[in-house]
Amino acid sequence: MDRELRREAVVFSRYLVRAAPSEALIERYCAANRELFAHEAPSAADAAVLAFARDHAWAVAPLDAGHALLGPASLLRKKLLVMTAILETTPEYAARTEPRAVALPMLGLRLAAAGVAMAAGAAAGLALTLALRHGK
Amino acid sequence: MGSDPDVLVVGSGASAVNAAWPLVAAGLRVRMLDVGVRDERYGNLVPDGPFEEVRRTDPQQHRYLLGDRFEGIGFEHLGAGAQLTPPRQWVTRDADRLQPLASASFFPLQSLAEGGLANAWGAGAPAFCAADLAGYPIAHADLAPHYEAVAARIGISGARDDLWPFLGPLDAMQPAVACDGNAGAILRRYARGPDRLHRDGLYLGAPRLAMLSRPLGDRQPTRYWDMDFWSDAGRSVYRPRWTVDDLRRSPRFAFVPRRLVVAFADGPDGVTVTARDLDAGTVETHRARRLVIGAGTLATTRIVLRSLGAHGTRVPLVCNPHTYAAMLNLGRLGDAGDEPRHSLAQLCVVHAPRGPAAPFTVGHYYSYRSLLLFRLLKGSPLPMRHGLAVLRLLSPSLGVLILQHADRPTPAKYCELRAGGAGGDDDVLHVEYALSREEQARIDAVEADIVRGLRRLRCLRLQTVRPGHAASTHFAGTLPMSRRDAPLTTAPDGRLHGTRHVYVVDGSVFPDLPSKGLTFTMMANADRIATLLARSLGALQSAHT
Repeated sequence: MDRELRREAVVFSRYLVRAAPSEALIERYCAANRELFAHEAPSAADAAVLAFARDHAWAVAPLDAGHALLGPASLLRKKLLVMTAILETTPEYAARTEPRAVALPMLGLRLAAAGVAMAAGAAAGLALTLALRHGK
Repeated sequence: MGSDPDVLVVGSGASAVNAAWPLVAAGLRVRMLDVGVRDERYGNLVPDGPFEEVRRTDPQQHRYLLGDRFEGIGFEHLGAGAQLTPPRQWVTRDADRLQPLASASFFPLQSLAEGGLANAWGAGAPAFCAADLAGYPIAHADLAPHYEAVAARIGISGARDDLWPFLGPLDAMQPAVACDGNAGAILRRYARGPDRLHRDGLYLGAPRLAMLSRPLGDRQPTRYWDMDFWSDAGRSVYRPRWTVDDLRRSPRFAFVPRRLVVAFADGPDGVTVTARDLDAGTVETHRARRLVIGAGTLATTRIVLRSLGAHGTRVPLVCNPHTYAAMLNLGRLGDAGDEPRHSLAQLCVVHAPRGPAAPFTVGHYYSYRSLLLFRLLKGSPLPMRHGLAVLRLLSPSLGVLILQHADRPTPAKYCELRAGGAGGDDDVLHVEYALSREEQARIDAVEADIVRGLRRLRCLRLQTVRPGHAASTHFAGTLPMSRRDAPLTTAPDGRLHGTRHVYVVDGSVFPDLPSKGLTFTMMANADRIATLLARSLGALQSAHT
């Protein structure tokens, strides 16, 4: 169990901030999972998605995008939210979530780029999510 | 506990302490009975410092920002208590267990904390004006001196701006605390052409806040650290427990914690109160000449219904319907939003198409920062990584407009006490609350008007969230003030009709609620009732000596 959680912590952190988490953050992620999710077994669909994400780190981004639309309350999204919260409340990552000034044209460009990336991720994610759901 | 006091006060929240104050000041002996739950976990963990500095330097921040049990993450829908960060969650500890409540439609926050629910309030402190008090048997002139007394005691900041006629006159007011750049940008656009907005009934200005802009006693003005959801740095935001601390300095005041008041019995010479000692598990009695109940509307109602044997009797209940509107301030896009700020309401919005003499709607605009970005991602359809990047760019322009609509009693809003075990302290308060189609339509129309007005100020609504009934935590109207001597109502002087020595000082006595936070008026009314009571007891004392 802990091995799976530790693997999730690493995969999710790399996805969210492109960096491997420290041992303390991995421990914190495991503790949060024990506190928040240990009381009920995951559904078969949730378990399949998480297992796939653990084994295929590249798939986390499209799966997140797919589940943001198809399964916002899925276990994957909840676990990603937990890792996001843990990273946001860690000094070494705080600066990455602080707002900063940006010129309006640059803001427009960045939002547009994010929109394109999200649309592409969602397209791939929807297909992957549906495939995993039906193939479980 | 010595000899019997003159007055027993039940509760230690905003009403109770501001009733106790004039009684003690008048020389009366006061005993306050309260469960008095206190913070035992997070209070000492939160460092003194600005939010940004804490985020960058404190390796322990996850303990209070997320909670030791990660209770600050939470996956449930936004509802009552959404504003309770882990360091504030002690406020509701034990309350539901010791005060059982059942409802399919109404999920209130209850508190047995020392200082009550105002340990976590938003500190909005508008006064009721004449239009707000139209259905009350008291006038603004009755409350005016008590608004001043309470404002001087607790510290209220505000401005003499366009909102003055709506938020009530107040001489004992500190200058307004400064708003942040997000609200400042909206106010600047408003100032360029207010007349057109006024014609549409929209007025903007500084909120009235129980937050200091100047020192008051040993309390400090806000340091603009943006930590107000997490700590009580400098005690700049008023909490009733500051008044409990001040009262404790008087030899005439006794605070008796760990007591859950169960019932009272009104006798010919005074009143007897039954309370459960939560540590010893025993039941004890307290006697006094008068009883003042300020336990909070739901708890007070429970005590009164049980004491009068009114199980099964329906009493009315009102509660401001509550809406959150997420806003994007286009005039602020691209800004870093890194100026010092406090965390509470930055701006007050009033929708008054018929002016201050007719009912109007009040909203408060909060900038979004210190509640962290992950909370926004929870309900968003964005993937986490890109969502974080987008929110990082937009968060200085994000705001939350909180609207609390007026509420009046109807047959669809009521509570009743149903008998539990033999001791009576596990009776269950059943609550039903529903808005009629007409009430909801009125709310929708007002909100559409406000959103249209704010759009002219380049503020766009992104999303509307209705967090459910009771989310405003403004409960009232169960024992309404009335000149008519009817059962389960109170006289204008706070006395519970049908009793001689029992007074109610909290929101229970408000017959209806205008679109304003009631806490400041509750405190002023408690001060008024207690001042009248002190006078009458003083007069009685003189007659006996």
